[in-house]
Amino acid sequence: MKKILQLALGIVTSVGGFLEIGSIATAAQAGAGFGYQLVWSVVLGTICIAFLVEMSGRCAAVSKHTIPDAMRERFGARFYAVPLIVMLGVSLLVLAAELGGVAAALELATGISIPAWAIPVLLVAWALLWYTNFSVIENGVSLLGLVTIAFAVGAAKLHPNYGSLLHGALPTLPREKPSQYWFVAVSVLGASISPYLYYFYSSGAIEEKWDESYVGMNRAIAALGMGFGGFLSIAVLVLAAILFHPRGIDVKHYQQLPALLTPVFGRAGFWLVVASLGVACLGATLEIALSLAYLVAQGFGWNWGEDLDPSKDARFSLTYTLLLIAAALFALLGADPLKLTQISMALTAASLPVGVLPFLILMNDKEYLGDHVNGWLSNGVVLFVSLMAGVLAIVSIPLELLGGG
Amino acid sequence: MRLFGQVLDKQLRDVNGQNAGRIDGIVLELRPDAPPRLTYVEVSPITLLARFSRRLARWYARFDQRLGPGRGTPFRIPWHRLTHEHTAFRLDLDIEATAINALEDWLRERVVEHIPGS
Repeated sequence: MKKILQLALGIVTSVGGFLEIGSIATAAQAGAGFGYQLVWSVVLGTICIAFLVEMSGRCAAVSKHTIPDAMRERFGARFYAVPLIVMLGVSLLVLAAELGGVAAALELATGISIPAWAIPVLLVAWALLWYTNFSVIENGVSLLGLVTIAFAVGAAKLHPNYGSLLHGALPTLPREKPSQYWFVAVSVLGASISPYLYYFYSSGAIEEKWDESYVGMNRAIAALGMGFGGFLSIAVLVLAAILFHPRGIDVKHYQQLPALLTPVFGRAGFWLVVASLGVACLGATLEIALSLAYLVAQGFGWNWGEDLDPSKDARFSLTYTLLLIAAALFALLGADPLKLTQISMALTAASLPVGVLPFLILMNDKEYLGDHVNGWLSNGVVLFVSLMAGVLAIVSIPLELLGGG
Repeated sequence: MRLFGQVLDKQLRDVNGQNAGRIDGIVLELRPDAPPRLTYVEVSPITLLARFSRRLARWYARFDQRLGPGRGTPFRIPWHRLTHEHTAFRLDLDIEATAINALEDWLRERVVEHIPGS
């Protein structure tokens, strides 16, 4: 019975925690710019993150190692420094985008500008991490994130053309604006395959003391949680495809996001978008700050754990504190959360192979996984999607920055 | 034993199960007519940094010295004081009785304990 409850909670929190500014903004840009044509990028990204999350949970349950722990041990400090530095750099930008997303939601709600919200948001996020435990972060904030289901309800009410939607799930070459097409596709992939999600998940599995008996449950949580989460991303894409694309509206400002739901729900739609953006971005802010602190603390072998008092893991607690302060500086200095999101999601995609390839080697090592090593399907899907995202990102980012079309 | 695969970079835990850092370096005794013998392991940011750049390690050592007695040079643990467990090496010492955690202690006393509710 306890496991069934854990399973349900795991799926619900995965769904509630799936959407954040990255997936909302990139899916909206994909729908607005290309109708249903980029649905395939959400589908591919969701399949890939489901495999990665399943792998990270299996790694923790079977080997009792989190990913950073096993990577430093398996590959050594000199090698580990590469994913550590790349992840810290790219994810700090993502953290800044998420924290900016919370501030943007508050600006929409109150009319008070983003920089004024930087410090209050920083303090709330920090206090939640400093004074509460892992369950509050994982379950509480993610359960509130279920408000994002409003996007799915909204999309269904607009009666999308399901035939075209299914057709969009198959990758096609761009009919127009090729560099923008590939750049948005890469950003969607980067937003879906967020490394912080599976780093956070593996640390959570260790914090909750998973063992081999959790392997099956882990598979169900990863498949259903990420699957339904991806479904919400597609709902955002559908809304933008129906409401923005025919009118030639591009998503250039986060102030446009409420228009995804106001035609369906009226004034309530505005507040649903504000609540979705605020809660989802706050959840992501907490998870990314924790993930990065895990990455550092586990790599160096420090004491770590969101369930420990900060006095028992001072270096770990001060690491997430410093990261939050650094991220808040972007909002304080007036950085536009949407632009920051676009850049950070594309860079996430470009950096995917750096973290994913050593993780795959690890998942095929019998010393760590025993009989639970990866099968050909996990290896094939993750290798193909992450290499494709990396190559596409390296090609499309310079083209987009140079303004090609 | 494969030193690089099975010892270097492994997690260390103290006698109470607290994380005590990672094995950042190993010290070998070179013996004539016999294979080298592992005598100590080192746990220190100085040793870790020296694996990347000796200059960086020297620079950090100057800061590390200020953290208290026993710091400023890498902390060495005799090999015979370690036992191998499933995911880590266990040290037969309480980490609080060593200089390994000086940075953690310094941050706790100077920063964390001044924050209410910590």
